[in-house]
Amino acid sequence: MGRAKIPRKSTNIDMTAMCDVAFLLLSFFILATKTKPPEAVAVVPPNSVSTKIAKENAILVTLTKEGKVFLLLGDKSHKNAILEDINTTRALGLSAAEMAKLKKMEFIGVPFNQLKGLLDLATPMEPAKMPGIPCVDSTNNELTDWIRSVANSYKGENMDNLNLLVKGDNAALYPAFKNIKESFKKNDIYKFKIVTNSEVPPPGSELANSAIKNKK
Amino acid sequence: MAEIEKAKPANKNKKNAFVKRNTRVDLTPMVDLGFLLITFFVFTTTLSLPTVMSLNMPFDKVLPSDPICESCVLTILLEKDNVVKYYEGTPENNPAIKETTFDNNGIRNIIVQKRKAVQKLKGSADDFVMIIKPTDESNFQNFVDIIDEVAINNVKHYYTTEINDNLIRNKPAPGK
Repeated sequence: MGRAKIPRKSTNIDMTAMCDVAFLLLSFFILATKTKPPEAVAVVPPNSVSTKIAKENAILVTLTKEGKVFLLLGDKSHKNAILEDINTTRALGLSAAEMAKLKKMEFIGVPFNQLKGLLDLATPMEPAKMPGIPCVDSTNNELTDWIRSVANSYKGENMDNLNLLVKGDNAALYPAFKNIKESFKKNDIYKFKIVTNSEVPPPGSELANSAIKNKK
Repeated sequence: MAEIEKAKPANKNKKNAFVKRNTRVDLTPMVDLGFLLITFFVFTTTLSLPTVMSLNMPFDKVLPSDPICESCVLTILLEKDNVVKYYEGTPENNPAIKETTFDNNGIRNIIVQKRKAVQKLKGSADDFVMIIKPTDESNFQNFVDIIDEVAINNVKHYYTTEINDNLIRNKPAPGK
């Protein structure tokens, strides 16, 4: 009886295709990942059920645990105009070189009277060491001036372009937030957004029920 | 492992025969490395993008004069250490001020019950009005949490005001 010959097959698989896929995925993930927006100081934002995603190019007001206020002018197209405006309206008398330095700075967190000194420093100060923009009460509220310049630079445009965000720490006290709110109000800005971490609406609540209804 | 095997010269007689080499490289370790890196990147990237919550402040140069039914109002006071106090109706009538927390069975329950009561009374829960008064000792989280409760419970009208706000304190009771 002749035995049927089973041809021996090699167990080597061509790995080229798999390798291609792996590196394709890898490059996709690397390119698709957005870098985290810069943070002046660590801030733990509160949770909310809101599902709106924060837009880019925001004017961000950061409120830390200690009540320090920082300003980030994230809208590149308006940043120069805002800084020029604050230089003239507050008569800061910054030279062209100092202005150039200020434009490069990401976070603004010093009172006006320290701004010149800060810009003259050889090495830029870390945001965490800055004292914050004074925003204590209605008489000492420099944030109002900053927001005025922000509002001025958006004048004549659709105010919806102004993407004003407030990012506050959980433990920040309410009066600090109230003062920020006041500085917006003084400039006739009544709409702003609060940065939060998203959270699932509690089951059984009105919002969760309406979300289910909408799906159906 | 890498199979770069010398293929035997086809013709031994020819000394200058062109030596064919198998150029196939074992790609298994490279694939391993690729997937390892993918897993690393997937795990290290934080997927949670920050979300935003809109907040519209009232244009309070003109005080609102909407008539509000007194029994539709729930006033919530945010106090120190995450304590929430609340009362129904206007402060002129000296309502009982009760205390609760931000727990799941805390203020949310109160809002839900009040909302239902208003629905029974007025036929629509849209008449329910929430007044939020954060004290100076409350923190930012308390404020965001209570605004969040507004969204969670689909409250149509709410006002925020400060307790020491003279304007509000001296305001005649709504509905007069």
